[in-house]
Amino acid sequence: MRHAMCIITLAGFVLAGCGAKKDPVPAADILAARHPANLRLSLLYGQSCAACHAHAEAGAPLVGVGSDWQARTAQGDAVLLRHALEGYNGMPAGGQCFACTPDDIAALIRFMSTPLPPTAT
Amino acid sequence: MVSRRALVLLMGGTAAAGAGAAAIWPREAPEPPAPPAMDAQGHTVWRNWSGIQMAYPQARAAPANEDELADLLRKSPGPLRCVGAGHSFMPLVPTPGTLITLDRFDGITAHDPVALTATVRAGTRLSTLGRALAAIGQDMPNLPDINKQSLAGAISTATHGTGEALHAIHGNITGFRLVTADGKITDCDAVRTPELFAAAKVGLGAFGVITSVTLRNAPMRRVERLVRLMPVEDTMHNWPALKAQNRNVEFYYLPFTGTTAVITHNETDQPATPRAPSVDNDTLLDLKHLRDWLGWSPNLRRTVARRILQTVPPERVVGEAWQLLSNERSIRFNEMEFHLPAEVQMAALREIITAIEINRPDVFFPIEARAIAEDDAWLSPFYQRASGSIAVHAYYKEDYKSLFAMIEPILRRYGGRPHWGKLNHLSKIDFASLYPRFAEAAAVRKSVDPEGRFLNDYLQRVFVS
Repeated sequence: MRHAMCIITLAGFVLAGCGAKKDPVPAADILAARHPANLRLSLLYGQSCAACHAHAEAGAPLVGVGSDWQARTAQGDAVLLRHALEGYNGMPAGGQCFACTPDDIAALIRFMSTPLPPTAT
Repeated sequence: MVSRRALVLLMGGTAAAGAGAAAIWPREAPEPPAPPAMDAQGHTVWRNWSGIQMAYPQARAAPANEDELADLLRKSPGPLRCVGAGHSFMPLVPTPGTLITLDRFDGITAHDPVALTATVRAGTRLSTLGRALAAIGQDMPNLPDINKQSLAGAISTATHGTGEALHAIHGNITGFRLVTADGKITDCDAVRTPELFAAAKVGLGAFGVITSVTLRNAPMRRVERLVRLMPVEDTMHNWPALKAQNRNVEFYYLPFTGTTAVITHNETDQPATPRAPSVDNDTLLDLKHLRDWLGWSPNLRRTVARRILQTVPPERVVGEAWQLLSNERSIRFNEMEFHLPAEVQMAALREIITAIEINRPDVFFPIEARAIAEDDAWLSPFYQRASGSIAVHAYYKEDYKSLFAMIEPILRRYGGRPHWGKLNHLSKIDFASLYPRFAEAAAVRKSVDPEGRFLNDYLQRVFVS
């Protein structure tokens, strides 16, 4: 049994790179240029969300990278919003956007999770 | 520091050598329970970055200018608390009253290219300030490890960085503007308001709201960043020399490995080099995997880790200091950090390592040691004392209370003063004994906020009872 656990875990490491298909990560300047069209949302996004969601190193689902969001959006908008407001895994509560209303957070999730081609801003 | 491939190989070797050894932390700890997103009155929850502090403020405000701020300070329900980036682990921010963000106070408003000063709006995040200062040829002499903080939050909690000859961020400010509870705006500096300047420079947001800060900067320089793995005994023995020979130096002890990662930054004229994507987060998870798999045997954990770590080459990068000194830290944690007299730092660290490696095989987060020059802010942990810092962390999903309860008495026995934003159990009587000017600072605070509008429950315990 224990030996089996080792093998399973090892297999997990090996397979880690062979999971679901991942969209290509856009270049850093492309990610940085992606902002909501709405001015208020753009300011909120730039002050809070972009710190993690526009930087590949941060490990957060990236803005406009559809495959990063698939499993999350599949849970439904309400669950995703609740996780964002309360904090979940790497996501701090409210994205540490202290001027954001729940409606703002919902709109920002919609913006970030909408897939874009890798070169689009 | 340690590549993921190395860890995969490590685990493979471990599985083969120790066939049958069970992981003692086989599964990821569950997500800590979250408070409801809204309370019964419809107020949205606020939580700090790590998730352990929370509140349902009845009002939130993001003023656009000082007039709006002054008006809301006069009229909004208290306690009035400002939030920067929410990175403090202590309950400095929670309020049932008004939560204020200075996110709209952003950017540089003036600079002097001769004096190398810059006046910066207080809500500016350190992550954007470095680039903005670089554009005018200036650089902050010291920066903290994390770049998310707002400038006001960083100075108000004595956020620091590292370097024996370098001050914490507040040690390089020449003035600030403070809006008090009555809406009055005061330009504070060492000449016009010497007592208020000295008391409120590290002010915990308890004196008023700082709206802009004038920084005394350095010319922008490139620095060479070196990361080397060294045996812990060598690092501790050489710590005085490392501090003397490097502009910025710190080290992380990797628990149960006998190994430190020593990080230095020194000014250079060498050309900038490309920087590979950071592997710090991967390394941290690898240390967690090492704990998960080999935590049952400290000896095997140490042996295997050393085998792998000795193959890791040094890292060298050249870039502008603001690009290299601060980092993305996206894996959440809780933290305790105390600042000790520099001469006892290594003795305290030795005790802490021993205590952890005897009693706490669950610990995998590196233990951080840094150095900071003394300064003259009355509530600064570095007040009239060259200091050595020791920081202990715990993954946000795992128990931090019992770990920190074990560590805190050691740090206090060595005369440590806690980082204002990091976990500790001190109260007014403790601060009064640790800070020679504490009573004067508290008196100045009361003079500018007689009704205690900026005091939440925690700050009442700090300043009042």
